[in-house]
Amino acid sequence: MGFGQFLKAPEYDIKIITYRDIFQSTALESSGCGDEYAERSAVILLDKGDMKKMVLKDGRKAVLKNNFGRVVVHLRPSDYDEGHEGIGYMTNSPWSNALVSSETGGSGVPKFKMITASISDAKDEKVTSFDE
Amino acid sequence: MENEYYVCTGCGLLCDDIEVELEDGKVSKVNNACLKGVARLKECNRPAECRIDGAPASLEDAIIEAARILKEADSPVLFGMGNSTSQAQKNAIEVAKRTGAYFDDTSSFCQGPVVEAILENKIRTCTLDEVKDKADVIVYWGADPSNSHPRHLSKYTYFPRGKERQRGWEEDRTAICIDVRKSDTATICGDKFYQIPPQADEELLNALANGLSGKVPKVSFGMGPKKILELANMLKKAEFGVICVGLGLVYSLEEIEPLVRLMDKLNEVSNFHLIPMVGQYNMRGSNHNLHEETGYINRVKFTGNDVEHGAHCSVVELLRARTVDAALIIGSDPMSSLPGSIAKELLDISVITIDPCNTLTSRKAKVSIPAATAGSECGGTAVRMDGVEVEFKAMTETDRMCDAEILERIMGEL
Amino acid sequence: MTNALEIYQLLPKTNCKQCGKATCMAFAAALLSREVVVDDCPPLKEDKFKENYEKLSEIITPAGEASESGMIVHTEKCIGCGNCVVACPVNVAEDPYGAGSGNAPTSDNVILRVEDGVVRLSNVSQCRRFGKNKILCNGCIVTCPTKAIEFV
Ligand code: SF4
Ligand code: SF4
Repeated sequence: MGFGQFLKAPEYDIKIITYRDIFQSTALESSGCGDEYAERSAVILLDKGDMKKMVLKDGRKAVLKNNFGRVVVHLRPSDYDEGHEGIGYMTNSPWSNALVSSETGGSGVPKFKMITASISDAKDEKVTSFDE
Repeated sequence: MENEYYVCTGCGLLCDDIEVELEDGKVSKVNNACLKGVARLKECNRPAECRIDGAPASLEDAIIEAARILKEADSPVLFGMGNSTSQAQKNAIEVAKRTGAYFDDTSSFCQGPVVEAILENKIRTCTLDEVKDKADVIVYWGADPSNSHPRHLSKYTYFPRGKERQRGWEEDRTAICIDVRKSDTATICGDKFYQIPPQADEELLNALANGLSGKVPKVSFGMGPKKILELANMLKKAEFGVICVGLGLVYSLEEIEPLVRLMDKLNEVSNFHLIPMVGQYNMRGSNHNLHEETGYINRVKFTGNDVEHGAHCSVVELLRARTVDAALIIGSDPMSSLPGSIAKELLDISVITIDPCNTLTSRKAKVSIPAATAGSECGGTAVRMDGVEVEFKAMTETDRMCDAEILERIMGEL
Repeated sequence: MTNALEIYQLLPKTNCKQCGKATCMAFAAALLSREVVVDDCPPLKEDKFKENYEKLSEIITPAGEASESGMIVHTEKCIGCGNCVVACPVNVAEDPYGAGSGNAPTSDNVILRVEDGVVRLSNVSQCRRFGKNKILCNGCIVTCPTKAIEFV
């Protein structure tokens, strides 16, 4: 147990890169509202070093927040060989889209691939559901 | 062996060698398709229900109600199309014309700019069959087909034997991957994977163009001139090269010009083609059909005989600026695919969905109309990611109506 | 990748013959090809070999999962991309215009094919890693994006 538990969950800034995952898309084909889809989508993969630094633990949940939205997702270390400090990976989904800017500069194309957000321990909060 | 082959509508690759087994009139087994295709062709776990304002309704009533909403709306939009047959898309264009509606499709925030450049002959393209028979250098840029189009490498680009590529992938072909992350596709490309930082694509495009012009290529991130020249040389030496452009590249470019410039340069010194990694099975068809009708690939508004076009007609801007008061959404789920801050505007307008499955959008819709799944339950034509038209037939019978017919019925009520 | 020697190192190395094989090395080879199971070696179950026993059980996944040529498909990882189907040299030789050209297999003699979205093995005895003239072919391993195929 680090100091984290005594403080208000500290916040860190990260960049989020979104990607596609076939198992997640497959779950979407079967049912975009199903549990499996939520399990596979509401996840952020972090650099192992970052997780240590931010005192965030595998299997816990994180709050991701910026001006456009706020979601609670599962937290996991990524298994890339190379580190990716300051960058988190999420699959394309309503959870990552909740954080995408509504600013488009009138171009009609949202900045899907440029998400910045703050991340903090979600304590006991439940993973965000879009399926009420 | 005599086999009957079907077409998979799981993605823009439209694999045409699918075998199926049926049980009780339903698809029970799908062979040769990838996992994604199997999921698409088997029934969804939660098929859409026919509902008006959340209450079960008859198809007849739902169609009448949909027509009423469109008729009474001041400014409706038709959106989606990527998962519809070409006939359904043509019918949707008719509905839009009749109701003076905006018309946009998912390419508006996906591969639109690239397909546009191809249709306007700004970028040289080729078919996947040519790639299979001839290509020796294949570049995946900002694309991870292993997850988005799983059979891309095995059916057309890297692994298959082709007419002029008889010796197999180890000797005959080189696959290169350029991406911000080591994807599954990057893993297959081994030491031909070039990792770049987010938003650095334009810089690398320019550096490569410089390298090909004999200048020293420089970038601001940790990729030395030697490494860039090594890549440039591989491209230069290609007998038949292809760049498969993914959303990673499209999204990081403000404009398509740097890509066009590199393609031009490549074709001065080598022989290069470009194929957009179109996601939904008939997204490109929608672009073609609208282009034929209006000269634009997406983002239009019909007023009488006039057609207005521009970014302000895109679904994203229409929602953001609250220009529209009703939406007919066909085979698409903008509630999950658009930024939450924009998608929420859909909650304030009258939404009609036509979709085989229950989606976040259909469940919030005022009218939800279930459609047959194209590919398994209804046939039609579609345009593959490389622009080739593919015809497909239904695998099973269904009592659900195809989207083309639903749109025709709505048209009849207008 | 495991080989017979590695397995041998974990055996009692007494050549006691209780397993029915002439030597521990022969037993190791038999283990590798899944002809016998770890439990067929009685001394291994003694306390002093406990650690080795556990290690071996881990290395030697139960037969049934693995085919005779030692090929294991982790079906939960497979995405049905067909890369292995098209790259496998036996598939190419048996079915050059079907599997070898990226299309649906048209021959019953292929080793790998995709059914219901995951790869399925047949005719494994034709695998180049099997039999008298075996070679260390790895066509299906290096082409798999998800490391779903493994040889033990
Ligand atoms: S690659 Fe696309 S078209 Fe081919 S089987 Fe998979 S989902 Fe279907
Ligand atoms: S290459 Fe791997 S993922 Fe693709 S079909 Fe073969 S085992 Fe499955």
